[in-house]
Amino acid sequence: MSWITISRITKLGLTNFWRNRWLSLASTLVMTLTLLIITLFVVMTMVISKTTTMIKSKIDVAVYFKDSATTQEISDLQQIIAARPDVKEVRYISKEEALRVWNERQKNQRIKELIKPEENPLPRSLAIKATNPEDLKNIADFLAQNQYSPIVHKISYEDNKQIIDKLLAITSFVKKMGWIFSITFVIISILVILNTIRLTIFTRKEEIEIMRLVGASDRFIKVPFIVEGILYGFLACIVATIALWIVIGLATPLTNRYLGSIVTENMHHFFISKFLLIFLMQFIVGILVGIGCSLFSIRRYLKV
Amino acid sequence: MIEIVGVSKIYSDTIKALDNVNLKIEKGEFVSIVGQSGAGKSTLVKLLICEEKPTSGKILIAGRNIVQLKLSELPYFRRKVGVVFQDFKLLPQKTVLENVAFALEVCDALPEEIKDKVPRILDLVGMLKCKDKYPDELSGGEKQRISIARALVHSPKILIADEATGNLDPINAWEIIELLDRINRRGTIVILATHNKAIVDRLKRRVVLIKNGTILSDKVRGGYVI
Repeated sequence: MSWITISRITKLGLTNFWRNRWLSLASTLVMTLTLLIITLFVVMTMVISKTTTMIKSKIDVAVYFKDSATTQEISDLQQIIAARPDVKEVRYISKEEALRVWNERQKNQRIKELIKPEENPLPRSLAIKATNPEDLKNIADFLAQNQYSPIVHKISYEDNKQIIDKLLAITSFVKKMGWIFSITFVIISILVILNTIRLTIFTRKEEIEIMRLVGASDRFIKVPFIVEGILYGFLACIVATIALWIVIGLATPLTNRYLGSIVTENMHHFFISKFLLIFLMQFIVGILVGIGCSLFSIRRYLKV
Repeated sequence: MIEIVGVSKIYSDTIKALDNVNLKIEKGEFVSIVGQSGAGKSTLVKLLICEEKPTSGKILIAGRNIVQLKLSELPYFRRKVGVVFQDFKLLPQKTVLENVAFALEVCDALPEEIKDKVPRILDLVGMLKCKDKYPDELSGGEKQRISIARALVHSPKILIADEATGNLDPINAWEIIELLDRINRRGTIVILATHNKAIVDRLKRRVVLIKNGTILSDKVRGGYVI
């Protein structure tokens, strides 16, 4: 294809886009909405899974020891656990440290005063972090063995397990909903865009007929519509990116209030660091949908 | 140059538009194809410009069977055959000059070629003075001239006019026929499908009469007889 042809075809596409600006606007807006939904879904899924991982990494198993257990017994157990491949970190928390943490957490002075350093009922413990949060159960099971029962007072795993399970359930629910929403919107958008392009093609049926009559190649007839499709995608991608900034800006106070600042921070961080990727994804999806719909709609008009 | 051999076109069991038509048209001929509405004129024209394919038979143009043309070859074939229609088929939002230039643009012509050819062809049909007007500002006869100019701009060997004068008053119609005649004298085959008796009678050129899908008569210097 020569440069002259390319420039002629592009010009024709741009002219057509402008000439049918209301139809073009409708297509672009529908496409924008679709891109926005898909992007929000992707960002949301990624932020949630990142937050989940972060929360998971903070979860640990704590083994509380009976006061009768000797320091030697505790230190032996610590070594055994530290040697396990699925254990990332084991930290010994002495009575003194437990008290310090207790004091830090308690705001009420009267409750604070209930425990005095001289008669400290807080148990010594080991805080164990797993390389993989899923392995925490194995570690907890290991500690629950009979041979350790004389020294172990309590293993705090069950409480954490519930939190983990709940978190995983929420994540998978959000992911599923996101998929359903995205697919629905993609289908709606494809249908609307298909119809819009069909309509523009229909209004230019005569022009296409004349083009064929005077010997225009299929390519010359087809490409301007593809150019229009690309334009829909490109403009939609820009509008969607701007809208995304606004949506995230508006959503920040809400996420702060309901989900905590970790999620919000993750969202901001994610959006800024992956800006180019998000833009590129929208660009590609937008353009592919635009081109696909154009090609599909024009097909039947070229079958003579 | 054009040879139609045993061509039939059957749309359905009851509609037989053309039935075993044989016709040979030599270089430089002016052929009028006449017949009543529904006789098969338009079908024959559609087959000649490859808008439809015959049910059976061959259509040889310059020795090539156009029935077997591939979809990708069609545009190149259409550039060699100019077609003029009753309803002109001009683009309303383009000027006269742009309408004619458009036919070259869509065929990858160079700008110099367009600049050179379009005014010459407009001059040939006597419309150079109207080159900046829009089709809406022109009379029927003028529109048909533009449509002829557009059909001729590729310098086709064959010009097919399907009821080209159907929408025109007698004076305008005759002017168009004279123009076609002039084009024919420059060496282009002109095939004129019409049911206008006066025109055919005055032309005194070859007349092919079609009735019920078959050729009833083929006279070298004929008139319109049904």
